[in-house]
Amino acid sequence: METTSVQKIKRSFKRPFVFPKNCVYRPLRQIHNIERNQKLPPDQPTYFTLNAPPSLLPAKKYSDISGLPAPYVDPHSKLRFANAEEYGSMQQLPSDIINGYLTLRGFTSAVG
Amino acid sequence: MAIPKRLLIIDNGSYECRVGWHNSKKPDLRFRNVLTKPRKDRKKDSNQLPDSSATPATIVDELKANAEIQIGNDITNIEAVRAHLKSPFERNVVTNWNHQEQIFDYIFSKMGFDGETSIDHPIVLTEALANPNSCRRQMTELLFECYNVPALSYGIDALYSWHHHQQQHKSVSDALIISFGYNTTHVIPVLAGKMQLQHVRRLNVGGFHINNYLFRLMQMKYPVHLNAISSRIEKLVHDHCHIAKDYRDELLKWAQLDYYEAHIMKIQLPYNQVTATNALLTAEQKQEKRRELALRLLDIKNRREREKLQEDEDYLLVLRKLRQLHEQQKLQKFERALQQQQVANLEELDKLIGTITARIKRVKERATAQPKPSKQQDKLDKLPKPPEGVSQSQWLADLREKRDQLQQRKQARQQQRQEQAKRHTHAAQERMRIISTLARSEKRRKANGGDEEDDGFGMNDNDWDVYKRINRYNDDSDSDAENERMLEYEKILQHYDANFDDGSNNAAMQALIAAENYQLHFGVEAIRVPEILFQPSMIGCSEAGLAELIAFVLKFFTGEEQQRLVDHVYLTGSCAQFRGLKERLAKEMLELRPFQSSFAIYESNDPVLSAWLGACLQANGKRFSESLTTKHLYQEHGSEYFREHSASNIFYPTPKD
Repeated sequence: METTSVQKIKRSFKRPFVFPKNCVYRPLRQIHNIERNQKLPPDQPTYFTLNAPPSLLPAKKYSDISGLPAPYVDPHSKLRFANAEEYGSMQQLPSDIINGYLTLRGFTSAVG
Repeated sequence: MAIPKRLLIIDNGSYECRVGWHNSKKPDLRFRNVLTKPRKDRKKDSNQLPDSSATPATIVDELKANAEIQIGNDITNIEAVRAHLKSPFERNVVTNWNHQEQIFDYIFSKMGFDGETSIDHPIVLTEALANPNSCRRQMTELLFECYNVPALSYGIDALYSWHHHQQQHKSVSDALIISFGYNTTHVIPVLAGKMQLQHVRRLNVGGFHINNYLFRLMQMKYPVHLNAISSRIEKLVHDHCHIAKDYRDELLKWAQLDYYEAHIMKIQLPYNQVTATNALLTAEQKQEKRRELALRLLDIKNRREREKLQEDEDYLLVLRKLRQLHEQQKLQKFERALQQQQVANLEELDKLIGTITARIKRVKERATAQPKPSKQQDKLDKLPKPPEGVSQSQWLADLREKRDQLQQRKQARQQQRQEQAKRHTHAAQERMRIISTLARSEKRRKANGGDEEDDGFGMNDNDWDVYKRINRYNDDSDSDAENERMLEYEKILQHYDANFDDGSNNAAMQALIAAENYQLHFGVEAIRVPEILFQPSMIGCSEAGLAELIAFVLKFFTGEEQQRLVDHVYLTGSCAQFRGLKERLAKEMLELRPFQSSFAIYESNDPVLSAWLGACLQANGKRFSESLTTKHLYQEHGSEYFREHSASNIFYPTPKD
């Protein structure tokens, strides 16, 4: 991240102060790694232990395009659809839109 | 310790920052917690100015700096820089301290600290629940070292909001707080006035995800209107999205065509008639433009020719005078002049005069001749006429047949393409067969050292069509010529045949359709988008939805404690403003609580500002000074330390290794 490019502005109410260079920006993931190596007591709740648990309910299936409950999947594009009419319109979609819908749902095929 | 000064309350949210004095009724300053950096070229300009710390220069510097980095409300056009917005936050935690420093600069100068030597007021600041120690340490260091504040107090926005809510429910000390933030949603159990930190859970879905989800959906539904959409997303979410009481039920209603027709919301985007006609008339306009360009070129050419003519005529005059000199027998002068003009002798002079006169004559002739009608003009006027000896109707029928043939061929190609894309079809197998044959012949050629007998492939141009046939994503690129021919046929048919109709050749109709193309249909999205709070799986997030999460958190407690919690479920945060949220939660609670048990849901009466107001309340309290971390304490205990209070996180020291 181009944090160094920000030039500091002189303001009367500020005192000269700079963070060490490696502390100016730390992504959460890095903070997580640091905390993991800190040997905190195991029952100490931290930011990263408070994440919601993974869902145990089966995810409901909705059509990617219309959002309606979708009993069908197009085996070719992997898009879900609710009815024949939708299937027809799906066939005209360009591949980037199809991929857009799939990534929006978080679908990644095993083949790539 | 006495606190004589006014306190500055900062609700540092990841969406909006609210700042104000503790004794005011509402925040004095509210702004989107973002900043935008300028483009590089502008920055360079200001860098060239000499940097000096003299007083008048600092003001100039500051003005420059303000022009450079725009923060919060100073961003003049937030839509234009949407892609370049930077936030100090990652999720709900401050991680970028350069940005946070800029934000503080902005806050303090807006609050009138310019000219003062330090921020001589205690600060109350909200932070994320369970904010990592390293983040808080940096915040503390920044405020004490850089801004020299006398004292600090950290608190959690949801708990401040709860304190504010408790004003009306003084006797209640147990609650299940559900805080809907911009990046996260928290479920916070509070028993006997104490947050049960180990049982708090955070769902990493919030308002940002809702906005983004709608944006992506609309973007893919209407790829053409991308720019017009992006500025309307937030408004759509705020005004028209709501949470369905029974999502599946509502969806099934939307599946009915008449319900859809009755409830669909159509949003007309600004639609410019002129641009639409532009789009319709491109072909004619292009020709018009081309003609203009040709005229201009012709003009330039003429001018140049005229200039050349003038030059030639002048030169001719000089040469004629020379000749006269010779005729008048002034030989000496003549010789000198010849040398001057770099002409060898009399014969050459005569020849030169001859060619130049010829050239002048030619140019003049061309100028006086009738300007030929341009070829394009010609083409434009001429619409193909029926060939001689064929009646018009016959000719038209012929054309129509040709056009139908082309159309059929096009459809067949598309069919083939679709079939090839699937496995186990004849077309796909055929494709595989051709590929393997081609591969085999390739190998054979290599094995023989590349110079075995030529199989004659490529002698015929049509041979290359095999490659087109095996190209799975076979575009129509090779049939451009066919498309062109089809367009031509249609044009002729439209011109001659009154009955010919290929859909929409009525100009008025077309304009109407174009305007309709500028409409966004907003239907299922209204409930689909906020539903991600309850079903994060819709955006590929594996975390448990809100209802499941509440059930999960409740399971940590005994039956009696559970009852105490659900007797006061409190909703706060900006996203709690969704219509239908309370009803939906009531339905979900009914499902997850034991039969015939009771629960109650309370909404915050000011979901957006209650955190800030709650912090003010606490700052006005008698025992507030006990919750301040003073500069002295900071120097004594280090930058990690802070004093706990009823709305704060719980302090735990980072273990030393």
